[in-house]
Amino acid sequence: QEIKKGNTYTIAGIEVVGLKSFNEQTVVTTTGLRIGQEITIPGEELADVEKKLWGYDLFNKIDIYAAEDEENPSQIYLQIRLTERPAVSQFKIVGIKERKQDEILKDIELKAGKKVTQSYIANTKNYLLNKYKKQGFANVKVNISTKPDTAQVNSVKMLINVDKGEKVKVSDINFIGNEQLSSKKLRSAMKNTKQKSFFRFWKKSKYIPEDYDTDLVSVVDKYKENGYRDARILSDTVIYNDDNTLTLNLNVEEGDKYYFGDINFVGNTVYSDETLHKVLGINKGDTYNGVLLKERIADVTDPDADDITNLYQNSGYLFSTVNPVEISAKNDTIDFEIRIIEGKPAYFDRIMVSGNDRTNDHVIYRELRTRPGDLYQKTNVVRTVRELSQLGFFDPEQISPEIKNANPNAGTVDVEYKVVEKGSSQVQLQGGYGGGGFIGTLGLSFANFSLRNILNKEAYKPLPMGDGQSLSLRLQASKYYQTYSFSFSEPWFGGKEPRQFSVSFNHTQQYRYNYYTQDVDKSQRFLISGVSVGLSKRLKVPDDYFYFSQALSFQHYNLKNYNSYLFTFGDGYSNSLAYTIGLSRKSSGPNPIFPMTGSDFSVSAKLSLPYSLFDGRDYSALAEERDELADSTDDNDVDRVSEIDQMRFDWLEFYKVKFSGYWYTNLIDKLVLKSGGEFGFLGSYNSDRGVIPFERFFVGGDGMANYTLDGRENVQLRGYQNQSLSTSSTDEGSVIYNKFSLELRYPITLKQQASIYGLTFLEGGAAFNNFRDFNPFQLKRSAGVGLRIFMPAFGLLGIDFGYGFDSVDGTNQPSGWQTHFVIGQQF
Amino acid sequence: CSEYQKALKSEDTGVKYTMAEQLYNEGKYSKANRLFEQILPKYVGKPQGERVMYMYADAAYQVNDYYLAAYQFERFANSYPKSSKAQEAAYLSAKATYLTSPKFSLDQTETYDALNKLQNYINKYPNSEYLQETNQLVQDLTQKLEKKDLEIAKQYKKTFKYKSSIKSIENFLVDYPGSELKEEALFVKLEATYELAVNSFEYLIKDRLEQAQEAYDDLIKYYPNTSFSDEATKIQESITEELSKRS
Repeated sequence: QEIKKGNTYTIAGIEVVGLKSFNEQTVVTTTGLRIGQEITIPGEELADVEKKLWGYDLFNKIDIYAAEDEENPSQIYLQIRLTERPAVSQFKIVGIKERKQDEILKDIELKAGKKVTQSYIANTKNYLLNKYKKQGFANVKVNISTKPDTAQVNSVKMLINVDKGEKVKVSDINFIGNEQLSSKKLRSAMKNTKQKSFFRFWKKSKYIPEDYDTDLVSVVDKYKENGYRDARILSDTVIYNDDNTLTLNLNVEEGDKYYFGDINFVGNTVYSDETLHKVLGINKGDTYNGVLLKERIADVTDPDADDITNLYQNSGYLFSTVNPVEISAKNDTIDFEIRIIEGKPAYFDRIMVSGNDRTNDHVIYRELRTRPGDLYQKTNVVRTVRELSQLGFFDPEQISPEIKNANPNAGTVDVEYKVVEKGSSQVQLQGGYGGGGFIGTLGLSFANFSLRNILNKEAYKPLPMGDGQSLSLRLQASKYYQTYSFSFSEPWFGGKEPRQFSVSFNHTQQYRYNYYTQDVDKSQRFLISGVSVGLSKRLKVPDDYFYFSQALSFQHYNLKNYNSYLFTFGDGYSNSLAYTIGLSRKSSGPNPIFPMTGSDFSVSAKLSLPYSLFDGRDYSALAEERDELADSTDDNDVDRVSEIDQMRFDWLEFYKVKFSGYWYTNLIDKLVLKSGGEFGFLGSYNSDRGVIPFERFFVGGDGMANYTLDGRENVQLRGYQNQSLSTSSTDEGSVIYNKFSLELRYPITLKQQASIYGLTFLEGGAAFNNFRDFNPFQLKRSAGVGLRIFMPAFGLLGIDFGYGFDSVDGTNQPSGWQTHFVIGQQF
Repeated sequence: CSEYQKALKSEDTGVKYTMAEQLYNEGKYSKANRLFEQILPKYVGKPQGERVMYMYADAAYQVNDYYLAAYQFERFANSYPKSSKAQEAAYLSAKATYLTSPKFSLDQTETYDALNKLQNYINKYPNSEYLQETNQLVQDLTQKLEKKDLEIAKQYKKTFKYKSSIKSIENFLVDYPGSELKEEALFVKLEATYELAVNSFEYLIKDRLEQAQEAYDDLIKYYPNTSFSDEATKIQESITEELSKRS
């Protein structure tokens, strides 16, 4: 019966034919059609049904037929005719090693039940052909066949046969027609295609057509770099030899050698011809070099290059274009006109940040160096990315600035910074034997804490995060000592400018411990309590990489029946009140874990008040008296020495000066040289009162800050045992030290889950007990290799093997090989 | 081994279905969900599929798993457009997405997503019974975006980047002409223009004070009884004073 187009019908019945593995009812349900439903033919409903069925990717053919009911012309019967795609029941790959098959199956998405289409087979075949051609199997053959599987409904068995053939190597590359440039030079210009050679046993001389094509361009570029502007490859032939090798014959035409003539700039108003010439760096009479010219105008390989395009980009001219045009070629001299369309300077309009699922806007926006209304400058975008990475809240490898909606007419541009949050909290839970007993440590540090949400139950997901504050807690306990510390810092105190406020508390109690009997005597104890408050600020002058910091710290030592090398008095106290002032410049980056460029400098001074000026004691008399009694063993004399020492150290009087500077230089690829040195000096205002036994330097070993009573500083010098340069002659530590080091680093991976790099170092340092002995060139030297692994949840882990060339005091053997472990200490 | 554990491990889809429905009716949604998750693929395209998918989505919604609920409700609405529950599912999908939207100071991908879904819902069901709620949700989300932009503009002002603050406010006024925060935005603009003016080089001050005066006039024009009137008046007085020194 004829269906009248555009009529509305009621569905009287639906039939599905051609099904093999599906149930008819299922298909009807999927179509969404119901008996009794009104539809228009042709109309949206049926088109939708077809679209839906196609969408399942299960059928090769879908037809819908409609027939009018002969008795009731307003009713129709629908018939859906389907051809199901066969599914793969079994498959087999021949010609590829078993262990490589899984990877291939994953790539071609083949598994039992996969619906087979012609296009799938064709795509798979091409995929495999390309894959092996890229590996140098120029003669690879792939055959994919299917045959019905009689054991199962609507299924096929698939056989993928790969015949890789022999790897084809390049035996010779011959150049014909080259007179000015040697064949050797031209061959070396071909970066990817190389001829077989005895010296290339670790690299294959594969023939990969795509790479070969780019190499042909490189050959022509090589000529262009040497003035042969017209050079071209007339023909190239690939000859297959019997021994599975290839001979490549390249027929070149060199043409004449050209020189640069006049170069004129047109259209420049912002920069003078002189400035542009300087940046271009090409003079009249120079050998023509098309590649260099392009590079000086816009170097595509280096986005930060000093080229003309960047000159404009960095001063707001986002919409500028720079085009070199040959205006005349007389004899061998080519005149150029560099046409510049400056366009309007671009200003930032909207600045957006996305991907911050944890860190609040205000923490990010205050760090951005591109703000609405500012002139567009590429350097500022680059610096923003660097500084966002340094916050430590985002994956440095994934921060991408996207320049959007550039509008040349309005002179505006938007930028969106896409960030990916990374874990910035670390938990340290440690137990181990050390110092004669079990030591347990619990450390928590949160780098992106939110103090204002600490009472807000909603914010615990699992902790209040996102305000960029850092909070850390550390508890350490063993049989004979406990230490607690807490610190908090807010990088933008007050929210107006980058002024870091930090506060910390610590408390330690230690009991007398006998290493031989392993007994703890609680009647002998030593308590230390301390608090410090600091404020540091980023400066604007001389440049804004500078930080100025100040801190005030107070420490109280309380001894009860506890004699030690620090104090000759067993019962008594000591206070240390000090003011620290520091200036530092930190421009290393962009990734704080693996800086590639920049430098870090810092200079600081820690000062106590000059108590001896006003406490009315005669220290020279006391010093004399103490000297006389020092060697006496008489009890009264010993008590008197203790009394004098209590007077010398009731308030610690000292000053300490430190300097350190390190440069990061990117040598080649990702190879980085870290070079620099440091220096420290602890002095006294009053030589009769003497240098305090606190705050001293201990040089040698891993430099890890361990539990200390006395504010000591451990200085890393690998290749020597921990603290060995400062403790061999006396227990007291050094008052002056210096150190130089060179370290080469190369990254193995810089992924978010783990950053790993290897290093090799040369360093030297020395420590002295007084300024008179100081000789900065009398160094203890060492060299070695090491590895660092940084994982966000664990912090830094590392191991170094160092060889110390010199002997430490008290021995005449070289220090020899030493192994150092680095844990938690960063960078 | 409880009956629930048996059902979880059972090979029989029917057993799982009965158990899941029972748990769902008893309000034990998270347990029910584990079963629904297992059986849903087996019922796709079958008559019971409609019920299963709805219960699965609803159970996820009940246990506050809004990401899953939004996805399953949306899937339901697309798979069964003729179902009597289709409209409700479309609404709940949008609402679940609304509930995933984080606070204003974080990435707002979910907010845009929810706005999109709510708008589609309104277009599709212009006479819906949920229309009032839907409009309320849209308003909430829009206000969140407005607050985000305004807070960023305020931060620019706080960190002494007055020009950026002004520019951001101007963009804000273009983006959200009818915003409830417009009054505050205009006031922030007044503060920023004034601060910019008085912190400028002498030769720029006069021009910029006049711009600050315009910002004041704008605020008063739209909000004659503004709640910021005390501070605004104070600023206006010093504008006049500074200007009189320079005329």
